[in-house]
Amino acid sequence: MLLDERLVESLLAEALKVGGEFAEIYAERRRTDSLSLEDSRLERCSIGLDAGASVRVTKGRSISFVSTDRLDEASLREAARLAGEGVAGGGAGLKRLELASALSEHPIRIAPDSVETSAKAALLHYADRAAREAGAEVTQASVGYSDTVSEIMVANSEGCLAAEERTRVRLIARVVAAREGVMQTGYESVGAHTGMELFEASDPASVGRTAAGKAIVMLDSRPSPSGKMTVVMHHGFGGVLFHEASGHGLEADAVEKNTSVFAGRIGEQVASELVTLVDDGSIANAWGSNAFDDEGVPTRRNVLIEKGILRGFMYDRLRARNAGAEPTGNGRRQSFRHPPIPRMTNTFILAGDSTPEEIIASTERGFYAKTLAGGQVEPATGDFVFGVSEGYLIEDGEVKYPLRGATLIGNGLVALKNVDMVAGDFEFNIGVCGKDGQGVPVGSGQPTLRMVEMTVGGTEV
Amino acid sequence: MNDEANMLELAKKTLEMAESTGVDQAEVLAMVTRSTRVKVYRQEVEELVSATGSGVGVRVLKGSAVGYAYTSDTSEDSLAAAARAAAAAAAVTAPDEYEGLPEPAAEFPRLDLYDEKLMQVPLADKIELAKAVERAALERDRRISQVEGATYAEGEGSVALANSLGFSRAYRETTCYAFLQAIAEQDGKMQTGVSFTTGREPSQLEGEAIGREAADRALSLLGGSQCRSMSCPVVMDPFVTAGVIGVIGGALTGESVQKKRSMFAGKEGQAVAVTAVQLIDNGIHPQGLASAPFDGEGVPSQETVLIKDGILQGFLYDAYTGRKGSRASTGNGVRGSYRSQPHVGATNLELRGGTATGDEMIASVELGFYVMDVTGIHSGVNPVSGDFSVGANGRLIRDGKLAEPVREVTIAGNLLSMLTSVITVGNDNRWVPFGGSIHAPSLLIGEMTVSGK
Repeated sequence: MLLDERLVESLLAEALKVGGEFAEIYAERRRTDSLSLEDSRLERCSIGLDAGASVRVTKGRSISFVSTDRLDEASLREAARLAGEGVAGGGAGLKRLELASALSEHPIRIAPDSVETSAKAALLHYADRAAREAGAEVTQASVGYSDTVSEIMVANSEGCLAAEERTRVRLIARVVAAREGVMQTGYESVGAHTGMELFEASDPASVGRTAAGKAIVMLDSRPSPSGKMTVVMHHGFGGVLFHEASGHGLEADAVEKNTSVFAGRIGEQVASELVTLVDDGSIANAWGSNAFDDEGVPTRRNVLIEKGILRGFMYDRLRARNAGAEPTGNGRRQSFRHPPIPRMTNTFILAGDSTPEEIIASTERGFYAKTLAGGQVEPATGDFVFGVSEGYLIEDGEVKYPLRGATLIGNGLVALKNVDMVAGDFEFNIGVCGKDGQGVPVGSGQPTLRMVEMTVGGTEV
Repeated sequence: MNDEANMLELAKKTLEMAESTGVDQAEVLAMVTRSTRVKVYRQEVEELVSATGSGVGVRVLKGSAVGYAYTSDTSEDSLAAAARAAAAAAAVTAPDEYEGLPEPAAEFPRLDLYDEKLMQVPLADKIELAKAVERAALERDRRISQVEGATYAEGEGSVALANSLGFSRAYRETTCYAFLQAIAEQDGKMQTGVSFTTGREPSQLEGEAIGREAADRALSLLGGSQCRSMSCPVVMDPFVTAGVIGVIGGALTGESVQKKRSMFAGKEGQAVAVTAVQLIDNGIHPQGLASAPFDGEGVPSQETVLIKDGILQGFLYDAYTGRKGSRASTGNGVRGSYRSQPHVGATNLELRGGTATGDEMIASVELGFYVMDVTGIHSGVNPVSGDFSVGANGRLIRDGKLAEPVREVTIAGNLLSMLTSVITVGNDNRWVPFGGSIHAPSLLIGEMTVSGK
């Protein structure tokens, strides 16, 4: 354990001395190695250590939170005292700490610190070489690698004590291809809550090759048309759209403040019957998984929308208590410097009965979104916008030619209701989700599916 | 001893450790920050967050190969470990003849970035400020159903830098801001509006004014729907202009050009915009929150003219990209914290010299689109080609007046053609602290594609 159990108990007592209903200590020690390569040269290598703790005291809906970049007793005591003074009144007791057990395991086989930095550097070169060999059009390739090993510990006044070591490895390639003055970029990444064994399953070369392929194919693109179109979302990347457009509105902080389109609608039909949306932070070794969330609650599988019916929300401890619900293992934070808030883990739409071929063949005219570039959503309205980095025109049931400069724009609720075909070819993608200035690793996934109507913003009227 | 002196001592001590690992050059950044943030909701404190953070970042060169390490743990053992880690990192990176520390300068700008009042104002007054922000929005109109994230936040920090070429300096700064998102509701539909104000101490913040403004922005979008697709003149408000300038600023760095990722590559000395466009990177603006006497590697901050009368003057450089491009560093080796290596980037970007207010621009348009909010600006813009397509909300302009609210449309085009089709630059500049520190006015563009129904 990062901190001694006795010390933790006395810090919790200190935090609750002048009031508060709930106190919590979160300590963390995180090592990060990151390497980046550009123009076939390993440009940067950084080795970092972050260590510190924070104390949180809550009363009603008020939160007092103090963090320090130190793990020594004096600094921790001062943080506990200050956090306690931030809320007055209340006066909760302290329960004996009991070590929590997780519902999932995320075994690590090859610890990143057991691997030489030069061997990590080689991975970037493999990806780079494969990208450059993918086609004469490739003009630029950049590759980024990072691994983090984070030891965390969390304890609270309700007696919860949890500790976990989390290891994540990720490799990203970004490739620029050019032909006759036209330039396009392609992107691909792999990552998991695992050690270096990630690269036994995911070849670094294929990461580079895939990114290059995406850039090259877009060189033949034509400007995207604008207007309402049927949209077919390729498996994998479209999950990001549902993460943004539906997932954020299912996080309990937005629901509690009624700034979510889903607030007060449990049991209602909010999506097409073909849509079952799940958040599951317990999937073994997935990028968005942990054994515990950042409040010591074991992660688990939560069905959010079942066959179109809204079933539940994602809670942290505070919002669960306010709502009289169970915490769902979704209380997450970027680091010890950030208070936990309700967040997604791995969020996905379950596979359906159609095939991707059927979906395309039955689409007379449509937009086929293969890779999304990221986007934004306004949780209060559900309005979203997404850039499409790899898109195609579908005509007469066939994928015709690539389209560039397209944006998908719509509303989360409408998009969910408009799903009329779902295939069985499920795939996950990884990313870092930003909310309230905090980034956390998330997975999102979905099978190939079709939405009857969505606004495509292009450069051609 | 004060923070500045403490940090300078920490930096020098770590520098000695780094030099003793047998590297050729070393540089250490040490910093300490104390920050507080108060968020109120329905006139109660919802969140009171305070943080003390400190740490060091060590950059070393072995020959011309660079290594980096950082630690938030400033114990002797951890500092020594960071020094060794940096040297180990330099053993795997490729040598690069353009790497190296900048020669220390003789003169540095004198800037007043620290205001004692920040730490003297009691916390209770700061909480009251956040409450006043929320109240001003709620009292503006019955249709303002709530305010999300009415926030007062502040930071006090000291930064010290020392390197083996003899550079050894420190400075301290204070910053504060207030922010809110107002939510307006009508017929079961919600619209949001944000606003913010920045300063060096709380009395410089215009709390109530931003409360009213965020409310007005949310209210003016109520009842919006998609408009018909069309090509028309577009007026961008300063928030939207700031987003666009942020993307343009990113394409104006020496790195973007050298790595062939800039739409401005090879256009130095050429007209890239109409003559009304004056774009400056100003690292010494007294109100700019990105101002500092020197950048993240010790080069004096300065004012760099990027576009003058529409002509591209040059790019932003740090020591590395400067050497590579045979230019001097423009003091743009920026650094988010001790966790990151210096990297070329903008400081405070200003679009200057405008001649009209936003209202005057609107009055000059017969049929057009007034954009108040864009989404996806960072994912929807291709930095190489300049092509963009972003989601937008705002109002239609009819006969020189704001008309019906518009939502869920996209505007698309190309940033380069946009700069050459600017009709008017506004004189209503304001600081926008998102996506950089940007002093942006309203902008009237001749024609853009608006996609709706």
